[in-house]
Amino acid sequence: MSGEVLLLALVVGAANWGFRTLPIRFGLGAGGGGGVLARFLAAVGPAAIATLFVASSLPFVQAGAVLAPVAGTGAVVAVWLWRRSVVLATLGGALAYAAGFALAG
Amino acid sequence: MDDRQGETFGAGLVAAVPIALGYFPIAFAFGVAAVGAGLSPLGATALSVIIYAGASQFLALALITSGAALPVAALTLIAMNLRHVLYGPALMKAAGEGVGKRHAWAWGWGLTDEVFGAALGELARGRRFAEAWMFGLGLPAYAAWVGGTLAGALAGDGALAGWPVVEAGFSFLLPALFLALLLSILTRPQVPVIVVAGLACVGGTLAVSSTTGILGGMVAGALAGLLRRGA
Repeated sequence: MSGEVLLLALVVGAANWGFRTLPIRFGLGAGGGGGVLARFLAAVGPAAIATLFVASSLPFVQAGAVLAPVAGTGAVVAVWLWRRSVVLATLGGALAYAAGFALAG
Repeated sequence: MDDRQGETFGAGLVAAVPIALGYFPIAFAFGVAAVGAGLSPLGATALSVIIYAGASQFLALALITSGAALPVAALTLIAMNLRHVLYGPALMKAAGEGVGKRHAWAWGWGLTDEVFGAALGELARGRRFAEAWMFGLGLPAYAAWVGGTLAGALAGDGALAGWPVVEAGFSFLLPALFLALLLSILTRPQVPVIVVAGLACVGGTLAVSSTTGILGGMVAGALAGLLRRGA
């Protein structure tokens, strides 16, 4: 690895570490309360997860395949409703997607 | 640390299983791509150890191979990860008052998109926050990311070419994980937040870029949360 690539990694890695740890260290978000910042932070989690789900799903939608994504998504919802387990729902969704992919292929 | 240190660390490990399963194949793909971009297996693995942010690592490869200037590349990659600033405060808000953060300098490093989502989901289902639990949640994910990168870099190009169904199943692990996490925290008051975030993400992605879509979705959804009563 060249010195420039290593320097780039160190700069970006240091920024990532700061982004992830320093707001906690400085006590941002700690405690209760119902102010504007508290409500904003309470909504960040659901907003982030919804956004990341959409962002990670968009390539599948844009690819135009139907059977595998529908099978995978349906399996995640079904397994979640059945067992209330994130682990099982995730694995079930991936298995169903793979099965749908194989059948469609 | 918490009195139930062993138990909470173990609970974190269990909660990390889907994340680790999702990370390994993506990191594997990154390792393959990094070697293809001219990095050594050690260099590829070093990027995962030092940066530990999937999308920006793939972008780093593109910037490196395109010969982008170091300051431009660094600023681009840093901007891409700016959203992580919100995760710590949001997590501590969900954890409640008086929780430990003495070791946040260490476990906070593992606060990726997926680890943050999993932590929030567990807290929403009543789990008590503990730093040991955060270590348990973060370590397998980090290990899977670094290990997957090394495995992919050593395997080289075309490692999964003969296993397209397996590759397809791997590719759906992260969307499946995010959907499961979304279901785990879903409550009626959060529906507007989720809808606004999703729509903003689609709009931003189609109009500008996926990075804009992700950041825009998070901020728009969180702002929608301000309009809720009794949140």
